[in-house]
This record gives sequence, C-alpha cells and structure tokens, in this order.
Amino acid sequence: MATTPDTNVNEAVASENASLQHINADYTERYGFHDAENYLYKAPKGLTRELVQKISEFKSEPQWMRDFRLKALDHFLARPMPTWGSPSLAEVDFDEIHYFVRASERSERSWDDVPEDVKKTFDRLGIPEAERKFLAGVGAQYESEVVYHQVNEQLEAQGVIFTDMDTALREHEDLVKQYFATIIPPNDNKLAALNSAVWSGGSFVYVPPGVHVEMPLQAYFRINTENMGQFERTLILADEGSYVHYVEGCTAPTYSSDSLHSAVVELIAKPGARIRYTTVQNWSNNVFNLVTKRAVAETDATVEWVDCNLGSKLTMKYPSVYLMGERAHGEILSIAFAGHGQHQDAGGKIVHAAPNTTSNIFAKSISKDGGRSSYRGLLEVAKGAHGSKSKVVCDALLLDEASRSDTYPTIRIGEDDVDVGHEATVSKVGEEQLFYLMSHGLGEEEASKLIVNGFIEPIVKELPMEYAVEMNRLIELQMEGSIG
Amino acid sequence: MASATTSPVWLTARRERALSALDAIQVPTFRGTAGWEFTPIDKLDLDAYPAAPGGDATSLFDVEGAVSVSDEEPTVAGPIVMPLALAAERYPDLVEAHLGSVVTKQTPFTARNDAYWTDGAFVYVPRGVEVEAPIVLSTLHAQAGTALHWRALVVLEEGAQAEVWHESRSAEDDLDGVLNGVVELVVGQNARLRFVDAQDVSEKSWIFGAQRATVARDGSLDWITLGFGSANGKVFQETQLAGPGAHGTVTGAYASRGRQHLDFDTLQEHAAPDTTSDLAFRGILADRSSAVWRGMIKVDPGAQRTDAFQESRNLLLSKRAHADAIPGLEILANDVRCTHAAAIAQIDREQLFYLRSHGLPEADANRLVIEGFLQALVERFEAGPVRERVAGAIERRLQAVLGR
Repeated sequence: MATTPDTNVNEAVASENASLQHINADYTERYGFHDAENYLYKAPKGLTRELVQKISEFKSEPQWMRDFRLKALDHFLARPMPTWGSPSLAEVDFDEIHYFVRASERSERSWDDVPEDVKKTFDRLGIPEAERKFLAGVGAQYESEVVYHQVNEQLEAQGVIFTDMDTALREHEDLVKQYFATIIPPNDNKLAALNSAVWSGGSFVYVPPGVHVEMPLQAYFRINTENMGQFERTLILADEGSYVHYVEGCTAPTYSSDSLHSAVVELIAKPGARIRYTTVQNWSNNVFNLVTKRAVAETDATVEWVDCNLGSKLTMKYPSVYLMGERAHGEILSIAFAGHGQHQDAGGKIVHAAPNTTSNIFAKSISKDGGRSSYRGLLEVAKGAHGSKSKVVCDALLLDEASRSDTYPTIRIGEDDVDVGHEATVSKVGEEQLFYLMSHGLGEEEASKLIVNGFIEPIVKELPMEYAVEMNRLIELQMEGSIG
Repeated sequence: MASATTSPVWLTARRERALSALDAIQVPTFRGTAGWEFTPIDKLDLDAYPAAPGGDATSLFDVEGAVSVSDEEPTVAGPIVMPLALAAERYPDLVEAHLGSVVTKQTPFTARNDAYWTDGAFVYVPRGVEVEAPIVLSTLHAQAGTALHWRALVVLEEGAQAEVWHESRSAEDDLDGVLNGVVELVVGQNARLRFVDAQDVSEKSWIFGAQRATVARDGSLDWITLGFGSANGKVFQETQLAGPGAHGTVTGAYASRGRQHLDFDTLQEHAAPDTTSDLAFRGILADRSSAVWRGMIKVDPGAQRTDAFQESRNLLLSKRAHADAIPGLEILANDVRCTHAAAIAQIDREQLFYLRSHGLPEADANRLVIEGFLQALVERFEAGPVRERVAGAIERRLQAVLGR
C-alpha cells in the first residue's frame, strides 16, 4: 500500500487513539459537573479599594504587597478596556465578578488533609492517578486558593521550591520581592493590572543553579463558582544552568453566565537555564480567558511556551519571550481550536534584544462550526541584536464555511544582520487526503478527525504523554458531529 | 487645469460635500489609529499646505508610440485619455458614474482630495477595445509649500484591454510639499488592465495615496507600484476581486535611503468565488531609512475556491535601517488556499562569498546581489517593454541609493 508521510502520521495517531480510547471516556461526566458551593470565605461581587485591602489582610501580607495591590488597582481603574481583539470584550462586567474565594484556611501539604469535597473534585479530574504515575509535585488550585500542594522529597532535597504563590510570599519573601512583577509590571495592561490588584494562588517555582527537574511540575486549575474570576499569579525562576518543565492544565464545569480568568505568568531563565511551560486550556465556553504571559531569557538560556487553547468563550493570550542575553533561544508552539461561539485570539511574541539570539514560532489553528481563531503575534529584532535568526510559521485549517480564521503577525526589524521569515497558510481539510482515507473505508467524520489529528500532531507530540492523550481526546470531542 | 474649465454642477456639489465633511474627520495620530502605529504624521500640519495645481511633465518612461493625455476627442473606436476636469465636462455621465465609486472610504486625505483636486486624468476604454500602445499619464508637483491633489480614473469596459503608465515627480529634488493622490481602477468583465505606477518624488515631501481597483467577473489586473521618493507618508493600495473568476497580480518595489520612511498598506479583497490574487513587495533599505508594509488578504463569506498569495521581502543594507512587515489574513470562507510569507534579511553572505570567489570586487558583488533581489520582481513580467522599463527604473533608483 502506498503511503505518504501524512497518512503514516495519521495511522500512528489512529492506533494510539485506539489503544487509549478508554482514557477520558467519561469526559462529559467528569467535566460537566460542579460541586455544591461550600466556601469558608467568599467575597461579594465587585471590585473596591476595601476589597483589595481585605484580600491582603486576609492573607496577612507584608505592607509592600498591599501597596503593590493598591497601586495596581489605580492602574486598572485608570485604563480603558482594550478595543482590539474581540468586540465581545465589552461584555466583561467587572462588577459582576467575585474577586476572591477561599476554599480552606491554609495550603495543604498532604493529600489526606484535603477536605473531602475538594478531593472529590480532583478525584474526578484524575489527579491521584496522574500523581501515582508521574507527578513530582502537585499544585492543585481549587477556586482561588491552592488547597493541595505536595513537593516530593527528591525536589526538596534538590533545593527546588514548588509552592503556591501565597505560601511563597510568606516563606520566601525576599526571593518573591526581588522578582515579583519585574517581568510584567502592574501597568503593563488593564488585565495585568487587575490581576496585580486581586491575585490569589498560582505557583511559585525556584530551581537552584545546575538542578535539572526531571519530572514535569503540574498544577490543575479549576473555576467552580458562578461568576468567579481566577487571578492566579505564577512566577518561575530557573537559576543558572537549571531546567524545569511546568505544566498548567485547566478544565471547568459549564455555567450559564460569563466568568473571567485573568492570570499573570512570569518566567525568568537565568544564564544557561531552560524553562518549558506547557498549557492545556479547556475552560468552559462561557469563560473570558485574558492572560498575560511573559518570559525573559538571559545569556544562553532557553524558554519554550507550549500553548494549547481549546476552551473558553474568548481567549486573548500571547505568551512572549524577551531574549535579553546573547545566544538566548525562544520557542512558541501554539494550538488553537475554535468551535461554535468561540474566539481563540492567541499567538506569541518574541523580542530579540541581544546578539545571536534565535527563535521559532509554530502556530496551528482550527476553526469549526462558526468559531473564529486568530493568530496574533510580534517578532521584533531590536537594534544591536545582530546575528539574530527567527522563523514564524502559522497554519490554519477551516472546517466549514461558517468559520473564520485570521492571521495578524507583526514583524519589526531594526538591525541589518538578521535572518527572519514568516509564513502562514490557511486551507480547508484536503479533499485528496479525505478521498484517500474514505477510499480505505473510513467514514467522513473519522477521516476528518484523522486529518485534524495529523495537522496538530507536530505540536501535540511535544506535550507530556498524558496531556497528549488528553489533547487528542479533546480534539476528537470537539470534532464530533462536525460532518453533517 | 480645473480653473480653465467650468466645473459641472454635480462635481461642484461633490467638492462641497467633501469640504463640509472635513471638519469631522480627524487626522490619524501616530499611536491612536489602527494602521498608523508605525507611521508618525503628528508633525504634519496638512492645512499648512494650500492646494495648488501641478505642472506639465513629460514622461521619463519614454515609451515609443505612447498615447498621452490630450484635449482631443478620441477616434471612434479609440480610448478617451483626457484631463479629468475636461472629461467631467465633456463626458459628464461617464465620469459621474465612476468618479468616487471605487475609493469610497472618507479619510482626511481622500476628503481633501475630493474637495481640492486640481490635476488628474481620465482613461476610458470602450467595450471590446484593445489599446495596443501604452497610455502614459504623469503628475508633476510644481510648487513648494503646496499640496498637489491629483486623481486618476481608469475605466475598462467589458472585454477591453489596456496598459496605463502613471508617474509622479517633483519639479525640484528638495521640494517640500504634500502629494495626495487618489487612483480608481475599474476593470470590467473579462477586461484586462495593466497599471504601472511609479513615484519618484522629492525626498523632502509627504506622500499620501488611496488607490483601489475593482475587478469584475473574469477580469484581470496586473498592478505594478514603484515607490522611490518621498520623506514620509502612507499609500493604500487595494484590489477588490468583485466578480467570480477575477484575478489580480500586484507587484511592488521600493528602495529608500537617508531618513526616508515609506509605508505601503495593501489589501487583496476576495469578494466573489473562484478569484485569485498574487502580491509580491520587495524593498531595499539603506542608511537610516525605514519601510512599513502592511498587507491583508480578506476572504468574504461565500468566496469559495479563493486562492490568494502575498509575499513581502526586505533587504536591509545598513545597521540603522528598519523594516516592519505586518501581513494579515482574515478568512471567512473555508474552501480557500491563502498563503503569506514575509522575510527581512541582510545581503546573503553565501551569495556574496560565491561571487567574490569568482573574482568580483566586494562592491560589485554587493551590487549584483541587490540587483538580483529586485530582479526576482521584474521576472514576474513577460519579456518586453514593461519588463525593460521597470528594470530600467529600478536600475536608476539603485544607482541613486547605492551611489554608484
């Protein structure tokens, strides 16, 4: 039988899918539920100066953090909502959101101490199994606060700090104070200002010089209160020559009214360090996911963002890497899937600010059932960043005529000794591929699924195994009923 | 020229409407207006440049047997090639039907043009007429400190064929002024138009342009833009493929030096099924000059089987040169193939090394590589007068920019 490389990939995906079919078979049951609300503290809706002060008091924060929050609140109030991206941004009603919910009094270190209803939620999300298999440590965010957090002995022995941000502020204040908000200042944009004012939870990771964290560090996030915003704040600091892979996955139950998720994630890769940050975003389709993610890579350092966006009503997220030291490398791999009623406005930014720096952006998007996916990106080479090389490739697949795909890359070059290129292609599922597969007895839906899987395969294969499985399964679910 | 004729009533009304709209239209500010982020024009006081007519110019293109603008009535089966103001008087129905029908967006620049235009040409090719000789139009910015508002209106009826050359120049090399042009191209069913537009105006003057073409069913447009002069400004160049089977090829070349800042904003708008477009822009940037190319491919709902391509390439010759490329795709149909590519680089060291290893001095090798970079554009045309003239114009500009 004549095969092309594409069909080989598809066959491999098919057989992998077949062997893993039982995983996530209870998807709807697992993700379509929510537990009864049972919170020890839940702030009233709306954002006030008093609330920000109260959050800070509640957490017994140092004065500098309280001042930081209040200053950020001023920025937030002073700035207009962005007018680009999506017109639906205007629907975000900042007065209709709970800015703080605390699920239990303090962070838990042992699984046994976690409250039963919280545990039930994680159970249904599959965290215990995942932990048994892989996890070096789990930072599980239930509502606004990290309730379960375990760093295994090996990590502690290596001197790695992996904790929630609130704990880090208490136990490693000097380190947090030195780096917090240095990459994304509170006045960066309106949503970053909001996060800075009301942040709660998120992860803090410190990897000492030369330490390689072998297992990916994972944290699960959930929104579980109607109209509740999650404003987690993550800071990862990889010291000289170290390596860490952090994985962020989101699932959320379905609610009727709009919810806001606005995280700030800062990564610092010191000379020679490498950070990989993987996200599988699957918020329910009523969530506004407006996230600021930025990394700095110093001399010889590498930062990689692997960013998969499947859920939410609107996602606006452009992970960025500032290449600040010579020979630093940045890499952004992005998948977006926009189904009915969804707009994925995702992409990435790379700024070459030092000589001989290199970067790649590979983005794949799929639009279906009237969904809209947009790639929005920036590639900038600043003056003095000679010898820089960059390649940006965007591919989009349109599955029906009601859907939409946009590509908005911006390329700014202020240096002559550079080599940068950008390519983008938008197409529909290839008739020839479809015909070939169908002539081998596959139904149209099945054939389309295989082609879509093959399309995103180059990025999915970069995910940790269980996430790759989950991705394929999620895409399959999104694809179901697409041929009609 | 306009003053030499009595303006028809409808035209006067058009001017007055534009004039009264002017107050309400803000001049775009550097950061505040989408599309103008990279082209600061805050320092420009548009109204400090009063409108003034241009002068007569002979074309640099030197096309043998060319048809030029004249007050003469056309022969029975021939094209009309006439000053726009005169045509508005003599062929009011034709001109009124098309003037302002293609460039409809009201901006501070188009509204001023509408209100104040003094220079312009009207080209009309009747149904089925094939004009063999090139039609040559030219615009000369004659007075410093003034704004020259000019328009070109080219209409090809069904099955017509023509080649139109337009060129803009300034009377002096250091003339400070504003050149504000509107170009409207109407390509009828099954018609074929080649439009070559070259601007080599003073490097001290502002340039603004709103240029738009609409191509009907099975029509074909081959549009060539050479952007050499001007200090700063922005030129929009839009191709609308309005009827099924329409095709547009757009080719742009530029070469800048000193502190020149060029800004091209292109649109390939696929408004009907089975339409194709192919756009390629290439530029050479020397000294502290900068260029912006923003290009959008828009595919409207229902424009199935669209095939669109766009490519932008810049060659930076100096550490202080700066290039921005903002390609874009907005696709609202699914059975399409749309591709864009953008690249910014310096002179390929390997090519240079290869040439030098064959005994060429460095300066010559450099020159060859640069010529080769723009040559790729010239090769988009068949051998013949267009290819020669475009290659010649690029050659002259390179000589000016490279100083040898």
